[in-house]
Amino acid sequence: MTSPAAELQGITKRFGAVVACDNVDLALQRGEIHGILGENGAGKSTLMKVLIGLVLPDAGAIRINGESRRIGDPAEAAELGIGMVHQHFSLVEPLTVWENVILGEPIRLDAAAAKRRVGEISERYGLAIDPDERISDLSAGLRQRVEIIKCLRRDPAIVILDEPTSVLTPGESEQLFEVLRLVVERENKAVALVSHKLDEVLAATDQITIMRAGAVVDRRDTADADAPGLARAMVGRPVSLRSEGAALGHIEAFEDDRLATGPVVEAARATEPQPVLSIRGATARGRDRRTLLDGLSLDVHPGEIVGVAGVEGNGQAALSDLLSSLLPLESGTVRVRDERPLPGRPGAMAAAGVAVVPADRHESGCVLDMTVAENLTLVSPPRPRTGRALLDRAGRALLDRAGRQAHAERLIEQFGIQTPGADAPMWSLSGGNQQRVVLARELSGDPAVLVAAQPTRGLDVGAIEYVSERLREAAADGVAVLLISTELEEVLDLADRIVVIFRGRIVGEMDRANLDVERLGLLMSGAQEAAAS
Amino acid sequence: MTATSAGAGDVRYDRAREGATVLGIYLASIAVALVAAALVLLATGGSWTSVLSALLDGSVRGPGRWGTTIGVAIPLLLVALGTIVNSRGGLVNLGQEGQLFVGAALGTYVATHIGTGGPGVLFLIMLAGVAGGAIWAGIAAVLRYQRRMPEVLTTLLLVFVASQAVGYGLKNKNLLLDPTPDQANRNLISERLRPDTRLPRLDWFGNEFPMTAFIALLLAILVALVLRWTIVGFRLQMLGRGPRTAHRAGVSEARYGGLALVVSGAFCGLAGAFMLAGGDFGNYRLTPNYPVNIGWEGLLVALVGRNHPLVSIPVAFIFAGLRTGSGFLAATGVDRDITKVVQALLVLALLVPPAILFVRDRRRALAAAADRV
Repeated sequence: MTSPAAELQGITKRFGAVVACDNVDLALQRGEIHGILGENGAGKSTLMKVLIGLVLPDAGAIRINGESRRIGDPAEAAELGIGMVHQHFSLVEPLTVWENVILGEPIRLDAAAAKRRVGEISERYGLAIDPDERISDLSAGLRQRVEIIKCLRRDPAIVILDEPTSVLTPGESEQLFEVLRLVVERENKAVALVSHKLDEVLAATDQITIMRAGAVVDRRDTADADAPGLARAMVGRPVSLRSEGAALGHIEAFEDDRLATGPVVEAARATEPQPVLSIRGATARGRDRRTLLDGLSLDVHPGEIVGVAGVEGNGQAALSDLLSSLLPLESGTVRVRDERPLPGRPGAMAAAGVAVVPADRHESGCVLDMTVAENLTLVSPPRPRTGRALLDRAGRALLDRAGRQAHAERLIEQFGIQTPGADAPMWSLSGGNQQRVVLARELSGDPAVLVAAQPTRGLDVGAIEYVSERLREAAADGVAVLLISTELEEVLDLADRIVVIFRGRIVGEMDRANLDVERLGLLMSGAQEAAAS
Repeated sequence: MTATSAGAGDVRYDRAREGATVLGIYLASIAVALVAAALVLLATGGSWTSVLSALLDGSVRGPGRWGTTIGVAIPLLLVALGTIVNSRGGLVNLGQEGQLFVGAALGTYVATHIGTGGPGVLFLIMLAGVAGGAIWAGIAAVLRYQRRMPEVLTTLLLVFVASQAVGYGLKNKNLLLDPTPDQANRNLISERLRPDTRLPRLDWFGNEFPMTAFIALLLAILVALVLRWTIVGFRLQMLGRGPRTAHRAGVSEARYGGLALVVSGAFCGLAGAFMLAGGDFGNYRLTPNYPVNIGWEGLLVALVGRNHPLVSIPVAFIFAGLRTGSGFLAATGVDRDITKVVQALLVLALLVPPAILFVRDRRRALAAAADRV
């Protein structure tokens, strides 16, 4: 047998006290798709960054075609025939497709030749795209195509894809895997597919390496692998809970028990026919005049979880911003209970009873440079109370620091936030615990509506289960929960009713009882007509 | 409860260790500066002990020098306090020098046009100073929140506008120029403040300084209390550290940011009025180039004091000492350019640690942000 296309031996990488990779071996064979499966933080991405030259390992060796090599930067990796499609796009939006593809190449600018080259690649791999299209006009799926073409233009022998499906509809994901299959079978390339989703690794790969806490815990032929076994290997214990299954991208989990939460919701909705959150015809543009929301209408009733499914970049961020008072509307209204908070006015939504767990908690969910106690009381800091009306009115300008401390300690206990203390700075907490702080603050305000945008992004499985549980509890307590997520599995797991967002509007709706994953996928890709039939 | 099962990797945070680190960085930085200053002096044939000794004589050791240094420290501290308010709100004010100048000019105008004297007029002068500084910073605030013009630029550019505008006033007898007909050389200076509109000066053990020293100290304590114990202070700092989060939590950027800029300008204007009526600057007269860099140096005081009002008290005194001490350097016989290098090295020694700490904090925040991926 010939030597593998790429071989990593005993790779170890530490970041401070954290061991990201601990003596990891990995061999990528030509003509194979190799799945690298693991939770967030398992060390998958670090391992790939070692191979592409973005991270220098503390120990270990890299062999390319059997020869020992030292890869210092991505340019050296490219010379050795290694290309990577990153999770986050690195495209220049105002430029066209072909301009992005040749960007950074030390060649003379020849537009015709470059376009020809893009055309050749797109034909060879079935990646249809117009080389003259501007990146800013492209959907996330097409942008990824550009990234793949960028990677393939150098004809690499080894292709790495890091979480490629997070921006794709189910249909687009399948197309991607077809392309990968083509690349592997026709051109004998070696492909590494990094993912935390069980289903896609099972569907698309030939070999699977499972990582946990920086180490390889298992290797299998995909043919011999099954979902429960992989899940157990990934998490280190049997996975029984539904949210955990969802977190691992195991969609089948709910096709069986999709009626589980049905009846409860029906009861809740029957008693409360009035929606507590009602958005009508919301239209908004960004500063660059781009349409963010295009006549979006949405109702959420008390006690139900409405999931907003959709491919990233279709207005999810704008919807979350709208409900965080961060986005003013050109037209349309928002009603919360009997109030009509003015969109965009500071604090209006929070005052009306809308709690938000934002997708980017560092941007609008918490203040990293403040303490945990301060972060737990951002919206309504406690004022001193004496019981005397006159004194209390004067005291409204003052901050009750002791009261804040006590309140914070209570929430830390209640929500199990792991922190050295209430006055530790927020940045010193792990991502999962920061998310708990945000959840604790938002839920402790007794909200009417809870908006959760990508609430489990970047969390480990245990934290995901916790957050999911809290959302269900909130709904059970009569809070109207709006879950905005690009992880379809997460929406399917939690939502009682699913709406699909596409280009800033709601294009379809589906009850949990009538779940049709295929139709959902079509709606997400904007194929409205097809879905209507 | 499943609560405690998840979430690992909490970073240890230790206040005592943090304090020791900060102190260590400062000591190291000052030591390096002293060594470098000594080397510069040795290389140019000077004596570093005599330079150091002259600096100490001029700032604290000489008779009455404590008073002089305190007199300079008062406006420095006030400017720093204003700067702290806007910095905590996440705004960059670089126009202290101009706000101070306008405050002093408006104070002069009131003092020379009211015709009478007494404590009431003195109070009006102070009020005019506050209003002048607040209006000058208010222009930048309006431009920032009505027209989205960055306050970094507008405040800085308004310094030059202020200096031209006050210069015009100083050429015009109806405005600020001393109308006394027998003035020989037509200097561009204002009338002197009447003795009964000057700030009372205290004499402690032969050290003379204006009583505003205590007002400045009280204001420093007040700013510290407001930042720590009031809702306004809390929300202002929320705005500074997380503007989007603050907006969602109900903090209006225009209201709090604008307020921070105006308050900042008001402190600078008050500093100008204190300088005018205090007697340590310009002999109770407004002159061109009146602020003599007090605005810029006050900004540095806030920076070195790491935006803490109480820490800024000793820092203001140290900066004042460097100023008053330099008056004695000429007597050492060391070349004037060299003594300026020595002074600059000492200022740098104080500025480098905040810069190091800033970069460290940024790195830490970036590292914390990186764990999302």
